[in-house]
Order: sequence, then structure tokens, then C-alpha cells
Amino acid sequence: MTFLSALLAADAAPAAAKVAATAAPAAHDAPAAAHGPVDTIIQLFGSFGVDGPHLLIQLINFSILAFVLYRFAIKPALGQMEERNRLIEKGLADAQAATQRLAEAQKASDAKLNAASDEAAKILADARNAAKAAVEAAKAEATAAQTEVIAKAKAAIEADRVKMMNEVRGEVSRLVVETAAKVLEQNLDDATRGRLNEAAVKQLAR
Amino acid sequence: MSAASVRAEAKRLLALSLEGGVVSSELVGAVLAALTKSRSAHQLRPLLRAYLTNVRRELARGEARIEHAGPLSPADADAIAAHFSKALGRPVRPVARRNDALLAGFRVRVADDVTDLSASLRLANLAKSLS
Repeated sequence: MTFLSALLAADAAPAAAKVAATAAPAAHDAPAAAHGPVDTIIQLFGSFGVDGPHLLIQLINFSILAFVLYRFAIKPALGQMEERNRLIEKGLADAQAATQRLAEAQKASDAKLNAASDEAAKILADARNAAKAAVEAAKAEATAAQTEVIAKAKAAIEADRVKMMNEVRGEVSRLVVETAAKVLEQNLDDATRGRLNEAAVKQLAR
Repeated sequence: MSAASVRAEAKRLLALSLEGGVVSSELVGAVLAALTKSRSAHQLRPLLRAYLTNVRRELARGEARIEHAGPLSPADADAIAAHFSKALGRPVRPVARRNDALLAGFRVRVADDVTDLSASLRLANLAKSLS
């Protein structure tokens, strides 16, 4: 209706002239005027070049054009847009899934790090305990070895002391006996020796 | 002759040389004279050596070898020999020799038995007990 009103407004003067021109003969053709407003409208459209067959053909053309446009332009474009939307949605979903997986991976990584930290702490504690035990064992062994060495040294010193004492005692005894023998040899005269011999004979006889 | 047979022969000859349990010089001379006549030289030498050893041992069995420091009267020597004769059950004669290294007292050896009553032995025992 707007399009039609614009057309009517734009061509009001020439159309009025044409209508006036045609109205005169129409007065002569009273039966024609008697056809009614529909015919008038049709005639009016006809005067603008709009008649039924042309309109039908244009409708058909428009339909064909619309079909072609829809079939080969709009529909593929819509399909591409849907595909693009689908891809975008998929990308968003993938991104969300990736974010979730990243969070899970982060959580798993944190858990593994915690476990590794605990394991490292345990290993470190075990190593410290083992080192402490090894140090204690080494200390005990060193102490035992030291004790053994000291005992051996004491025994060797005691043996040396006893040996030395024996040697000294033997040497002193030898010197005493030698001295006594020399003194006796120098001081005993034959009379004394004779008396001693007689005493020995008496001792033998007993 | 083997060594065993030589020893056995020497033992038999020693038995022939004893008179009343004492080695007799006459019997020894007779044994030696008989040996020189009956045995060859190479058989005689080891036999005579074994016979000499046996005679010496037998003479030692009948001797009391007395080593003494200072003077030892013959009566004391005889007393010592009598003691060993009585103890061993055979006649023993004294053979005295002075040895002042004994300091005092005497040492008597009869065969393989030694009796020491000397001052040197006492001093040696004292040194041993002190050392």
C-alpha cells in the first residue's frame, strides 16, 4: 500500500490528465463505466504497466530468483554461518574442556609434586638415619679397635716390663752369685774348705 | 759284621772280662790276646772299639769320681765310696780330683749318676731361684 501510494503521489498529474482524457470517451461508453471499481483499479494498474500476466511472470521470476538466491547463496551462507557457529561452539567447548583438563592436570601435577615431596622427605630421612647408623657403627668399631689396640699395647708393655724385670732380676742374680763366688773363692782357705767337705760327707751319710 | 752283632759280641767279651763283678786286667789281656789271634784286622777294629767302650763304662760303674774343693782326706773319700757301694749294691772305689771351682764341698759321679754337694751348685740354684 505504501509503494502504491508513492506511485500514485508521484504520478498524480499525468495520471489525472490521462484519466480526464479517458473519462470523456468513457462518458460515451456508459456500459464500460458501469463495470465497477475493480475494473477501474485494473485499468489504473494497466496504465502503469502493471497487468496480470506481467505481474504473474514477475512473481514467477521473483520466485525463481528467490529460490536461486536461497538455494545457492543464502542457504550456503547460512550453512557456513551455522558451521562457523558450530566450530566456534566446538572451539569454546574444547577450550573449556582444555581448561578443565588443564585444571585437572594442574591438580594431578600438584598431587604428584606433593607425593614426590613426601617421598623425597622420606628418602632424606631414611638417608639421614642410615648415615647416622653408619656413623654410630663406625664409631663403635673405632672404639672397639681403639680398645683392642690399647689392650694389646698394655699387654705388650706389661710383657716387656715383665721380661725386663726378669732380665734385670736374672742379671742381678748372676752378678750376686758371681760376686759371692769370687768372694768365697778369695776368702775360703783350705782349712775352711776341709771342714765344709767333712760336713758334706756327714750330710751324704745321713 | 753288623753293628748289632758287634755290640752283642762286645757285650759277651765284657762278660768274659769280669771277675767277681769287677773288670780284671788279666782277663782283659787274655780276651785281647785271643781276639788278635782269631779275628782279622778289619773285623777287629769295630769290635775293639765297642769292647773299649763297654770296659770304660763298666770301670766307671765301679768308680766314684769325686771332684772336691780344698782338701779331702782319704778317710772322707773312702766314706763316700762306701756310701755309694752300699747304695748301688756293688763295690765302688774312690777316685778323687781337686777342683776349686766348686768353691766348697764335692761332686761325686758314679757311672751316669751325679751327686753334687758343692757350694757352686748351691749358688747356681740360688741364682736360678732369684731370676
